[in-house]
Amino acid sequence: MSSASFVALLISLKVAFWATAVILPPGILLGLLLARGEFRGKTFVETLASLPLVLPPTAIGYLLLVLLARSGPLGELFLGFDLDVLFTWKGAALASSVMALPLVARTARVAFEEVDRRLEGVARTLGLGPVRTFIEITLPLARRGLLAAAVLGFSRALGEFGATIIVAGNIPGKTQTLALAIFSDMQIGHDREALALVALTVVLAFAAIWTVEILLHRRGRAS
Amino acid sequence: MMRGTMFDITLPLDRFTLSVRWETEESSLGIFGPSGAGKTTLLEAVAGLRTTTRGLIRVNGQTWLDSARGLCLPPERRGVGYVPQDALLFPHRNVMENLRSGRRRAERASRQVVELDRVLEVLELRDLAGRDVVSLSGGERQRVALGRALCSGPDLLLLDEPLASQDLPLRRRVLPYLFRVREEFALPTLYVSHDATEIKTLSSEVMVLDAGKVRAHGRPDDVFTDPSIFPMTRTEGFENVLHGKVTEAFDSTATVELEPGLRIAIAARDLVVGHEAALAVGAEDLILATQPPSGLSAQNILSGEIREIREMSQVERMGGQVLVAVTLGRHGPPLFATITAQACRRLALRTGMPIFLVGKAHSFRVLATRQPYGGTA
Repeated sequence: MSSASFVALLISLKVAFWATAVILPPGILLGLLLARGEFRGKTFVETLASLPLVLPPTAIGYLLLVLLARSGPLGELFLGFDLDVLFTWKGAALASSVMALPLVARTARVAFEEVDRRLEGVARTLGLGPVRTFIEITLPLARRGLLAAAVLGFSRALGEFGATIIVAGNIPGKTQTLALAIFSDMQIGHDREALALVALTVVLAFAAIWTVEILLHRRGRAS
Repeated sequence: MMRGTMFDITLPLDRFTLSVRWETEESSLGIFGPSGAGKTTLLEAVAGLRTTTRGLIRVNGQTWLDSARGLCLPPERRGVGYVPQDALLFPHRNVMENLRSGRRRAERASRQVVELDRVLEVLELRDLAGRDVVSLSGGERQRVALGRALCSGPDLLLLDEPLASQDLPLRRRVLPYLFRVREEFALPTLYVSHDATEIKTLSSEVMVLDAGKVRAHGRPDDVFTDPSIFPMTRTEGFENVLHGKVTEAFDSTATVELEPGLRIAIAARDLVVGHEAALAVGAEDLILATQPPSGLSAQNILSGEIREIREMSQVERMGGQVLVAVTLGRHGPPLFATITAQACRRLALRTGMPIFLVGKAHSFRVLATRQPYGGTA
């Protein structure tokens, strides 16, 4: 592997890791809300959370760009300080995390829905309050699904292209992830390098999805 | 502190409104009724798992629900030991961890703490302690669920058809544990079952629920022989349940004393002298005689008096038959014998008449036994 490819791989892993870390807490919370919450406007929230799944990634990227621009609502002029996200690896992580949100929230939702609520009821009758019940019963029982949500989010972030290139650019050694490097190599006719990178992404994606399958389909077995 | 249990609740459901009132000093109530009658829902309402329940619930001097005053304790503050129909063990915990799930409540409760050791022993769970719950059999799961409920230091046990999911031989294996728990832990219990024999073994009082309403209420013997209730038992016939003490035990026979001087010979092995036993005998298996019979192989010839004659002609499956309730001894429990209406006429049976009851030792089967509380036998 060329050193440039290796750098792209490292950047990809870093971006995907932080994207997952950033989106996991709100994604899980959103999943819980959708699985258990009964509130007005639930369908609206559901739809909103799924938008990144169907919108062109460039549209999401452009929205983020507008938000984070110097004069935008999250820009330097408005906040009084510079978040320093645009055209850095942090921008790539942010863009990827937004794109990963629907997958994380949906998978987390299913994970919570698969927990038998009557088990929670029994826990309550045994003297456990709602919070303890969540920590001691619900979370452990949903853990495989939640782990799957994290891996799916990570894989989605790893493959992100459209939103990333708008928010973070395509700067080799700085914001150029594997997905962006393939695009660059292809454009300048480095077919062999591009193919090598493609192979690399196939391996990574395969490993990730394989993990998810194992997590989701061995549910219920003792661990 | 006022002892006893009372509830008077209403709960609107899809098909009907559950509306139940019960007050007692008795410690155990059997709840009987067809499926969909609201039995499980009643237990859930008492446990606090149905938030739309209105009314009043008082247990052991504590008020759990008083809608008029806007009081409704959440389930974790009620102190129930809830054993759901399908056990609902926590799959991510092993047997011991399941048993300990409610220990925190038990320890901070002022009520008498049920010793984990005692539960392990009475329910014979010691050998299962390290097992994964997915590897347990149906009967074992029920015992663990029962143990988990007991270990949480409850003021009231709620048992939802603990034997329902099992075939008959398995049920017979769990019943003795429930029988022992009643004696050992002496907890007020609501016991849902669709098996009349089980209820007679475990409860001295029964409530029949139908479409959310109380259809009948009283002593199991009176309720279950009521011609309007009997068809709901879905059994082949009426089964008498007798409680007594083992006074003699041999290789394959034993004697059980129901009250001083009133003894029954049964064919059963592995009984222990001094233990309490619950026996069952089918009403069809008993023979009535107006004269003292002699020269019979049957070992039990009991003299008594006819307390009541119940015509069951309108009851399907019992057409042309009569249930005769016979009082044995002084205060003995009534025993029911099924005879044909024709035999009843031929013998000219009537209430108050002295009568002899004949039963083979083999007709009596042992439902459950237990060591008397504090006993050393």
